[in-house]
Amino acid sequence: MPAASAIKVMVVDDQTSMRAMIRRALQDLGFKDIRDKAGPVEALAAIKADRVHLIISDYNMPDMDGLQFLEAVRQDPVIGKTVFIMLTGSADKEIVQKAAALGVNNYVVKPFAPAALKEKIERVFGELV
Amino acid sequence: MRRVAIVQGEYHVVYQPGVVISTLLGSCVAACLQDPVARVGGMNHFLLGEPGADVPVNPADMQRYGVHAMELLINDLMKRGAQRSRLRGHLYGGANIVAGLGGIGTKNGQFARNFMRTEGIALDHCDLGGTQARKVEFMPYEGRVRATLVQDQPLPPVERPRPAPVAQPTGELELF
Repeated sequence: MPAASAIKVMVVDDQTSMRAMIRRALQDLGFKDIRDKAGPVEALAAIKADRVHLIISDYNMPDMDGLQFLEAVRQDPVIGKTVFIMLTGSADKEIVQKAAALGVNNYVVKPFAPAALKEKIERVFGELV
Repeated sequence: MRRVAIVQGEYHVVYQPGVVISTLLGSCVAACLQDPVARVGGMNHFLLGEPGADVPVNPADMQRYGVHAMELLINDLMKRGAQRSRLRGHLYGGANIVAGLGGIGTKNGQFARNFMRTEGIALDHCDLGGTQARKVEFMPYEGRVRATLVQDQPLPPVERPRPAPVAQPTGELELF
């Protein structure tokens, strides 16, 4: 069972309040190393400079959407295997299918409860301690 | 003129002239957002700011929380041509009508103000607090809002978010 405290996370969402809420949910799950960015461009630069184990990214962002971000991550030879969990709107099944084709590890439908985020992370990493 | 009434947990976006969105508020808060250039706007109606860390919440109830209700509204506005940087807002509600609820209306109002400040959305008007219910009518295309205090009209019942069930079908795609 992996220790949540050992997993480095990057949270990407253009809404400050949502990033703060996800950060608090992750802290409650035991995560310690949590970084966040308002958009994929800044996040990509930060992840390339200092790698993380897990990316949690919104889909709906103004400059580069979550699918484009996922594709950029997967095409990068250094960070391409980073676990990627996408946050999508409830009516975005087509987006989920596209994300699956691009290699997303899991997804969480917004609005979500913290327990749903935990469940999706554990489906990838195993039960967190 | 077309009228659309929303209740807690709902939002509505309008980009046509002559449409009024209305709601009745007690301790809940409604945010009216508009992009005056794209002439698109919308209103939401939320029950609480955000869920507590240790409170199990039914996923279906999450949009009764402001943090999600605001995101749903903003995302829908942006899909219809609004730009986040041009959004302007009005806030209404957050009354403490029933004593003994721990100032829930005040907390909702604080959440809404903090959200607007944190997200950098211009706040043109704020009518929060007090002890009376409000009826809010918003014409998003025209950018007009009217709020009136309501004394003797019964408020819709406040439906608390239900406890999360042990397991429930979500309708999600099972890909993993």
